[in-house]
Amino acid sequence: MRRTVFAIAASVSLFIATAPVWAHHAFEAEYDNKKPVHLVGKVTQMEWINPHSWIHIDVTEPDGKVTSWMVECGSPNIMLRRGFTKHSLEAGTILDIRGYQAKSGDNKANGSSVTFQDGHRLFVGGSNPDDPESKRNPGQ
Amino acid sequence: MKISVTWLAVCIGAALVAAPGLAQSSAKSAKAFTPPKTPWGDPDLQGQWPASSQIPMQRPATLSSETQLSDEELAKRKADFDKAQAADSEEFAKNTGSGPSSINPPAYWIERARPTKQASLVVDPPDGRIPPLTPEAQARIKALRGGKGPGSHFPDVVNSWEDFDIYSRCISRGMLSSMLPTLYNFGNEIVQAPGYVVIRSEMIHESRVIPLDRRPHVGKDIKTYMGDSRGHWEGNTLVVETTNFNGKIGIGGAAPTTDALMIVERFTRVAPDELSYDATISDPGTWTKPWKIHYPYKLDPTYPIYEYACHEGNYMMLNALKGARELEKQGRDTAAHQFSPGNR
Repeated sequence: MRRTVFAIAASVSLFIATAPVWAHHAFEAEYDNKKPVHLVGKVTQMEWINPHSWIHIDVTEPDGKVTSWMVECGSPNIMLRRGFTKHSLEAGTILDIRGYQAKSGDNKANGSSVTFQDGHRLFVGGSNPDDPESKRNPGQ
Repeated sequence: MKISVTWLAVCIGAALVAAPGLAQSSAKSAKAFTPPKTPWGDPDLQGQWPASSQIPMQRPATLSSETQLSDEELAKRKADFDKAQAADSEEFAKNTGSGPSSINPPAYWIERARPTKQASLVVDPPDGRIPPLTPEAQARIKALRGGKGPGSHFPDVVNSWEDFDIYSRCISRGMLSSMLPTLYNFGNEIVQAPGYVVIRSEMIHESRVIPLDRRPHVGKDIKTYMGDSRGHWEGNTLVVETTNFNGKIGIGGAAPTTDALMIVERFTRVAPDELSYDATISDPGTWTKPWKIHYPYKLDPTYPIYEYACHEGNYMMLNALKGARELEKQGRDTAAHQFSPGNR
């Protein structure tokens, strides 16, 4: 049986702003930079919705209690242009997610880092418009 | 593989044509190149023209005073692009230690735009800067939201949906912003029919149906975010005049204009894969004089536009307002602080 871990960092991390501003929505309006979370859990659903996609995961806490979380990710249009489909992230997949919890206190987080358990990135792939090997697939 | 070969051929064709970057040089090419015609005889501008060249709206103060970057400045832009592209393609995530590194989705989830020599979208005034606001505009803008100024992407208070700007609310980027580069979803498609040109903009979910029969604009009481567009041909150039704006939205994330805003766009296919685009923006209620931008769209037949039904799952408003109330209970600052500057 796979072991899942749930932890909210006890100390407040110093926030270093090096990432670019997200183009459409200010994630700063939704998420609390004083509540970093590290979630390891099993995907129950991937919502390919606009403007941003949402991953639903079930996280088993140390006492065995299962908590459901929603994790906000990037635009589905970007993922589709990189060749991903609705089958690219099946229910049951174990993901390791780092982000910040919603200011509301709900079990929602942003997906600053979303990887498989071995550290492989989810949705990896460049988007160079001049790359002839682009994964774009207009047929889908 | 078929797509890749085709795309490679387009790239080679582009290199042979040696498409220029700025308006002045594009005008020369327009004379040299005769675009294909539609079956009914109009210049054929149809295709996918994503705004995939990243050019800042205004010339950054750190750059030289020229309209094009120096070789050194371009080399730096290209080096930054290559570095970001290499980081995007790393198969494994870097060890983020005990905590997350950013409040945003990871950088490799955005779409990269290619660096170009053009220093700024603004080409007139020649300093590459948008003209100053009139005193009346400054007073009008300051008076918005009961004296708090316009809604924002990063509002100082989160008490109402109106504390967010129109784009953040999934309503529209408006004109001219819908035509301009952004960090993702920068698709634009042109479709033509006898008597009409249609321009689809992926961000966010806009289509302009532009009649070409010289009919007058709709009545002056009809006002919209995207305005009312009328087009005609001047030689091989499509000229589109847009009026009837509602004065609720700005350009490039700036404060709202007035309903007297008028935008005149000029589209000229200057090479098989390049569409020269100029837009002159005038609004005497906002700026001290008209100003002009230039953008070189590159044809990209492989670019698929997907529907961006922005309101579908726009939980941001609920999350932000609910979160701000929770922070109030805790006695904490509710502002959505901007942690780093960006090009929207």
